[in-house]
Amino acid sequence: MKTIPLREVAHSRSGEKGNDSMVSVIAYDIGDYSVLLEQVTIEAVQALYGPITKGVIRRYEVPLIGALNFVMTDVLEGGRSRTLAFEESGKALSSLMLTMPLQMPDNYVGRSDALKRAA
Amino acid sequence: MAQKKTGKKVRMGSAAGWSRDRFEPATDLMNRGQVDYLCFDSMSEVTMSAAQVSRMETDRVPPYDPYLIPRMEPILKGCKEKGIKIITNQGWLDPEEAAQQVAALALKLGIKDLRVASVSGGILTNTIGTMNLNFIETNRPIADSLDTVVSAEAYLGAQGIVEALKGGADVVITTRIADACLYLGPLAYEFDWSFDDYQLMAKGMVIGHLMECGSQLSGGYFADPGYKNVPDLANVGNPIAEVTDDRVLFSKLSHSGGVVSEATCKEQLLYEVGDPANYICPDCVVDFTKVSFKQIDENLVEAFADQAGKPRTSTLKALVGLTEGFMTEEMVIFAGPGALERAKGTQDLLEQRFKKVALKATEIRFDYLGINGVHRESSPAPIHEPYEVILRVAVKTAERSEAEKIRREIDPLAVNGMSATGKWATSAPGSRVRPVVGLSSCLVPRDLIRSTVSFFK
Repeated sequence: MKTIPLREVAHSRSGEKGNDSMVSVIAYDIGDYSVLLEQVTIEAVQALYGPITKGVIRRYEVPLIGALNFVMTDVLEGGRSRTLAFEESGKALSSLMLTMPLQMPDNYVGRSDALKRAA
Repeated sequence: MAQKKTGKKVRMGSAAGWSRDRFEPATDLMNRGQVDYLCFDSMSEVTMSAAQVSRMETDRVPPYDPYLIPRMEPILKGCKEKGIKIITNQGWLDPEEAAQQVAALALKLGIKDLRVASVSGGILTNTIGTMNLNFIETNRPIADSLDTVVSAEAYLGAQGIVEALKGGADVVITTRIADACLYLGPLAYEFDWSFDDYQLMAKGMVIGHLMECGSQLSGGYFADPGYKNVPDLANVGNPIAEVTDDRVLFSKLSHSGGVVSEATCKEQLLYEVGDPANYICPDCVVDFTKVSFKQIDENLVEAFADQAGKPRTSTLKALVGLTEGFMTEEMVIFAGPGALERAKGTQDLLEQRFKKVALKATEIRFDYLGINGVHRESSPAPIHEPYEVILRVAVKTAERSEAEKIRREIDPLAVNGMSATGKWATSAPGSRVRPVVGLSSCLVPRDLIRSTVSFFK
């Protein structure tokens, strides 16, 4: 097995409602959805977002499109209308998710290499 | 319930995803999009309260989107000539006034028989305190905060738009409605959908939810070079939804940049969604876990939504804006050897100065841009000494005069601070202090809200 960042397996988009941020995790290859289910756990997400999340973290499963959806509550220092945070929208929070380390088989071809090979 | 067959094909273009989105997609979609509708979303959560605050500061700000006329002027005549209808929520606090202004613009442009409709009714600023409601966030009575309420507005559904279109409107200008309803409205009108058929309501909301953020469906907010490549982002084409009795197809303006793929659709499907199985909208509840996509051709994706609807709830969500004092921010700039040490020393110096001038702050925040300015306390520790560091200080206060103290301590750093202290925007005149309007939310029983549709020639 090898350790690679989530960015090689999935893509992500984030946004906000009130003081909560929503961060999706979407497998490039729907066959990797099981990897997301097993490894992109609430605990693993807590390890990344815990220091800024004052509420709870919830995970929702969206199997038809091979995706997970996370909601971090109380994560924006009051939300866009109240926050003193420099990045007020939560729109830059998805890139933190993509740093998550995953354990993948040695012969797994990540997204960046797959694109290079296709080119 | 089986959908009636109409044999219709309706094409809708997403002309804007928020109030300060690009202008040219509207003209491009009008000229080359072969669309029946141009839809403009001009709202984020903070839009209405920010407009209310601007009007408290100066009465020169209109009660509707200040970009309304600039957006309509280049397209109004062409859309009328081509029979393209315009749906926009740029009416904000006063859709009737906005509609009158657009009717006046039509006269000025020599457009004959343009029928402009307004949809109003969700503004609750003066009544929210009497409805015996609690805030969702704190469960405290809204009535207790009445002296700080500056705005309150419900998210209306699509019925007003349908009524306006049935009345022959060429242009429909609304107050706050749920963004996706800008698209559900025309669809419900064209296909004669019953608002009690929540499967059809959900179909419309899925389409609207995907379209409401403009190019976020067609390659905007998507590019991650080497991982997600997007061609010609500078000329990204806005999305087009083509809906028939049986099919829903997403594409974008031809000969434009960007990409429409299963991946872009999936990202937008989950954008700003909490529980995907229960996305609560004014006209139904949508189960996004029932939605899937299939790439049909280059930049052409078909969407499927099987039994994605659930009955609407008995309430409408409303946002309440509350005055919560003032905030301000300043930045001090460092680079080269010892940059981080000098930034930290400046924070220490400022904390001493704030004590000396007896700053009464409700919240103080220091950020080190380049180190932890974006992901904040979740940022990993830097491996190397950074070449550049920007120290940012942000403060909230109850009184404006307290917030004004910050710049009076920052500007003197030019001569009293650390070695090689760089400054930010020192020549900008005036105050950078701005009022804070915090947004909270509540659920309002539907029967307390009356929507009104009016027509202007």
